[in-house]
Amino acid sequence: MPPLEIIFNIVVIGISFVYWVIAFIIVYHLNRFGIGVQPKKFAAIFLFGSLVLASISTILFTKVDITMFIK
Amino acid sequence: MIKSFLSIFRDSTNSFEGQRDGETILLLLRKHIITLYLKLGLFVLAAIVPIVVGLTFIPYFSLHNLINVFLFISSLWYLGLWLGIFHVLSIYTLNTVLVTDRRVIESDQHGLFNRITSELNSNRIQDVSVHTNGILETIFKFGNITVQTASSEAHFVFHQIPEPDRVKDIIMQITASVHSGVKASAPL
Repeated sequence: MPPLEIIFNIVVIGISFVYWVIAFIIVYHLNRFGIGVQPKKFAAIFLFGSLVLASISTILFTKVDITMFIK
Repeated sequence: MIKSFLSIFRDSTNSFEGQRDGETILLLLRKHIITLYLKLGLFVLAAIVPIVVGLTFIPYFSLHNLINVFLFISSLWYLGLWLGIFHVLSIYTLNTVLVTDRRVIESDQHGLFNRITSELNSNRIQDVSVHTNGILETIFKFGNITVQTASSEAHFVFHQIPEPDRVKDIIMQITASVHSGVKASAPL
């Protein structure tokens, strides 16, 4: 695997990791400290949307051919 | 099981950390919804950016076989926006003023790990005033509520609260009932 491809994969995995850490913190705060129904609804919508968007990003990531930048 | 899980989205009580036995929440206040819309408006503008870039540079992307790269970067952009929107929503939701039959508790959330909680016993409230400033606050009926305590310590200010006059009246009623020894009832 060329170095550029490795770096690209590491960067994307890093972005994904940071995203899910922040997502967890948001969901945790909404459920832990939120008062009433509204924060729970926000947390559920956020989690669902995150899963959908992350899935789309993952599919698009597999279609990216980073080696063409070397050529 | 699924039914009981889904009930948290309908039946979650207005309970809070540190709630005393028999303490009843009379008001749960958040900033006026218009303040949230103003912030979310920026995200709507940011959401248009990839569409504009895509429409402008689509021939270039096609020519250089960059469509997939562009779509992937756009998906990351929307993922970031989603996170930003819910960060704003979280801060908005967690910024609360609770008026119970015994005290007023303000939770001021500045960031996810930056929160100030202040509380004030109802029997120490002496004066409540409302400050409506500007055209938006006048049209949408929201403003700042200042609660003055009996002691010389700093007063409490609750920012951008909807229907501040009604809230002021309720706080004053609660204070009066605490002083007279009659238990306040839920106004909502």
